[in-house]
Amino acid sequence: MSNYYEEISQSVISGQLDRVKQLTQQAIDAGIDPVEIINQGLILGMSVVGARFKSGQMFVPEVLMSARSMTAGMDMVKPLILSEDIPSAGKVVIGTVKGDLHDIGKNLVSMMLESAGYTTINVGVDAGPEKFLQAVKEHKPNIIAMSALLTTTMLSMKDTIELLKEEGLRDKVLVIIGGAPISQDFADEIGADGFAPDAGSATDLCKKLLA
Amino acid sequence: MPVKSNYVENTSPMFSILSPSQCEEILLAAQEVLERTGVTVHDEEARDILKKAGCWVDGILVRIPSAVVDRALRSVPKRVTLCNNRTGSRDVHLEGYNAYFGTGSDTPFTIDPYTGKRQRSTKKSVSNACKVIDALPNLDFVMSLGIVQDVPLLISDRHQFEAQVLNTSKPIVTTAHDIYGFADIIEMCEIMAGGVEELRRNPFMTLYAEPISPLQHAWEAASKLILAARKGLPVVYTPCVMAGGTVPATMAGVLTQGLAESLSGLVINQSTREGSPFIMGGVFTIMDMSSTIFSYGSPEFNLLMSSLADLAHYLKLPMFGTAGCSDSNLVDEQAGIEAALSIAMTALSGPNLNHDVGYIEYGSTSSLEFLAINNDVIGMARRLVRGIKVNDETLALDIIHKIGPGGHFLSEDHTMKHFKTETYYPSLIDRQRYESWLESGSKTLFERANEKVKDIIENYEPDPLPKDVQQKIRAIVERSEQKVVKS
Repeated sequence: MSNYYEEISQSVISGQLDRVKQLTQQAIDAGIDPVEIINQGLILGMSVVGARFKSGQMFVPEVLMSARSMTAGMDMVKPLILSEDIPSAGKVVIGTVKGDLHDIGKNLVSMMLESAGYTTINVGVDAGPEKFLQAVKEHKPNIIAMSALLTTTMLSMKDTIELLKEEGLRDKVLVIIGGAPISQDFADEIGADGFAPDAGSATDLCKKLLA
Repeated sequence: MPVKSNYVENTSPMFSILSPSQCEEILLAAQEVLERTGVTVHDEEARDILKKAGCWVDGILVRIPSAVVDRALRSVPKRVTLCNNRTGSRDVHLEGYNAYFGTGSDTPFTIDPYTGKRQRSTKKSVSNACKVIDALPNLDFVMSLGIVQDVPLLISDRHQFEAQVLNTSKPIVTTAHDIYGFADIIEMCEIMAGGVEELRRNPFMTLYAEPISPLQHAWEAASKLILAARKGLPVVYTPCVMAGGTVPATMAGVLTQGLAESLSGLVINQSTREGSPFIMGGVFTIMDMSSTIFSYGSPEFNLLMSSLADLAHYLKLPMFGTAGCSDSNLVDEQAGIEAALSIAMTALSGPNLNHDVGYIEYGSTSSLEFLAINNDVIGMARRLVRGIKVNDETLALDIIHKIGPGGHFLSEDHTMKHFKTETYYPSLIDRQRYESWLESGSKTLFERANEKVKDIIENYEPDPLPKDVQQKIRAIVERSEQKVVKS
C-alpha cells in the first residue's frame, strides 16, 4: 500500500501527469483512504518539489509541471471526500493593482501558492480597491496579495488597505504585497502585513503569516 | 603605384548573428503573428486610428494585415538625429551601425556613493547621476538613472525631467507616467528649444514608451505613440520580454513575438502621422527559471540584442539597445564580466541608442561607480570597433627597414605620429607596475571609480541653463504639483 504513496509522490516530483492520474486511480480502486492519497502521496511529492526549487535544483517550468500533475490527482480524489476534509493551506485573493496590466509576476506567485497547497482566487489585472473588497466579501480569504510593477500604480495598494479599514474588514484578512518597486519599507509605510521579493518567498511568507 | 583590383577592406570588424534570409524569415513570421494572432490595444483612439489604417478591429483585439506593416516600414524615417540640449548641436546620429551609449531610467534604487548603501532614488540622486553622465566622455545621452521618489509620485516625472535638464546638456531619453506628463515635459523642451518648430527640427529628446508582453498595448503606451506622432517628436518603443515567461523559450520565438510587438507599435505611430520619427527598442532576454529574474547579463540577452540589431539594420529602423548592465547585486567581478561582454557585443553589432549602462541587480538598482567603470569599457569597445587600417603608412615598411634588427621605435616620428590614435588609454583601468600601485594606495577598480564619481559630484559644473528658462521649467513643475494637490 505504501508503495502507492511513494510512486505517486515520485511521479509528482518528475511531473508525469498521466502517470499520476493512473496511479491515483489504482490507489482509489485499491480502497486507499483518499485523504491519505493527498497527504502522503500528492502533497508529499509537491513539498519535495518546493524544497528542490528553493535550493535551485528544480526550475519554474518543472515546478509547474509537477503542480499540474498534483492538481490532476487532487481533482480525482476530491469528489470522494467531504470538502472540509480537503487539505488547504489557506485561501489567497491575488491580483495586479489598478492601472497596471503587468501580470507575469502575479501569475507566478499564484501558481507557486497553488503548488504549495493554497487555494487562490485570481482577480486579474487592473484591480482597484473595490475589486479586492468584493473578492474579500465573497471568498473570505485568509490573505490578499497585491502586485504592481510601477511606482505610480503601487500607490493603489494603500487605497485598498484604506478601503478595507473603512469597511471594517482589515482585521479579517492579511495583506501582502510585491513587485519590482516594492520594498519592506513601503509595506510598513502603507500598513501591509508583509512583502515578498519573489514567488518562492511569497509562499514562505504566507506560511509564516498563517502559522 | 601599382593598380590594385579585387581588394576587400574591412574598415571595422564584421559581426552578425542573423543572415539576411533569417531576418526576412523572422520579419515574415512577425507579420504572420500580427495578421493571425493580433495584439490588444487598450485605447479607443488608437483602435480608431488602426481601423482607419486598414487593421481588423474586434473589440480590443486588433489584427494587422501585412500590407499595413509594410506601409509603416516604408513611411518611417531611416534615421533620427538627437541634439545637445543647450547648443542644439546635432551630435547623435541614430542610423546605420552607429552605436551610442547612455544610462537607463527606471531603477527604483541606487547605491549612494558616500555610504555604499542601496536606497530609493531621489531628485538629488538623479541630479548627481546626470552630472556624472555629463562629465563622462564616452556616454552620449542621458536617461535619469533612477525614478525620483521623494516628491509626489503622480507627478514625479516632471521633477525627474527638471533634475536632468539642470544637470546635463546631453540628449535625453525621457519617460513619463502618461501623456499628461509627456505634455508637460514637451512644453519644457519647447521652452528650452525656443519654440515648437525648433524642437521638432533639432530634437534633443526622445519620448519613451513600452508595450506589455505578450502582445498588449496599454492605454499609456498607445496614447504616447499617438502624442509623439502628433508632435512630430521621436519615440522609443521597447518591448521588454523574457524567454519562457512572456515570450516563447526559443530565441527565434523571442525575436518573432518581440518584433511583432514593436511593429504593431510602429503601425500605431505611423498611422497617426506618416513620417514620424520612431526608434525600435527591445530588451529581449530570458526569465531565469530558478530566481525568476529578468536577466540583464545572460549570454542570451547579448545574443538577442545583437540579433535584434541585425533585424533593425535589415529593416532600416533606428534601434534602441541595452548594454553595460548586470544581474549582480553589487559592482563585483560578475558585474564587470557581464557589462564588458554586452558593451563589446553591442559595439560590434551596432544598435544605435544603447541604454541601461550602470544598472546592477537585474535592472533594479543603479551604481555611479559601475557607470564610471563602463565609461572605460565603452572606450575599449570603441577601439575594438575602429579595427585595423592597412595601408603603406600603417604597414610601416620604411620604418621597419630603417630600425632593422635590434634598435627600437620609441623615438621615431612615426611612433609619435601614431601611438595616441592607434592605442586607447582608459582612465580607471589600472596598468601601473606593482610598486606604483602599492604607493598609490593599493586601490581596487571600484575604489578608484568611487573617488572619480565623488570628485565629479563635488567639483564638476554642468553648463547652466539660462535663469529665465530654469524659472519657466520650475513653473511647469509647480503647476503640475498644484493639480495633484487639488485632485
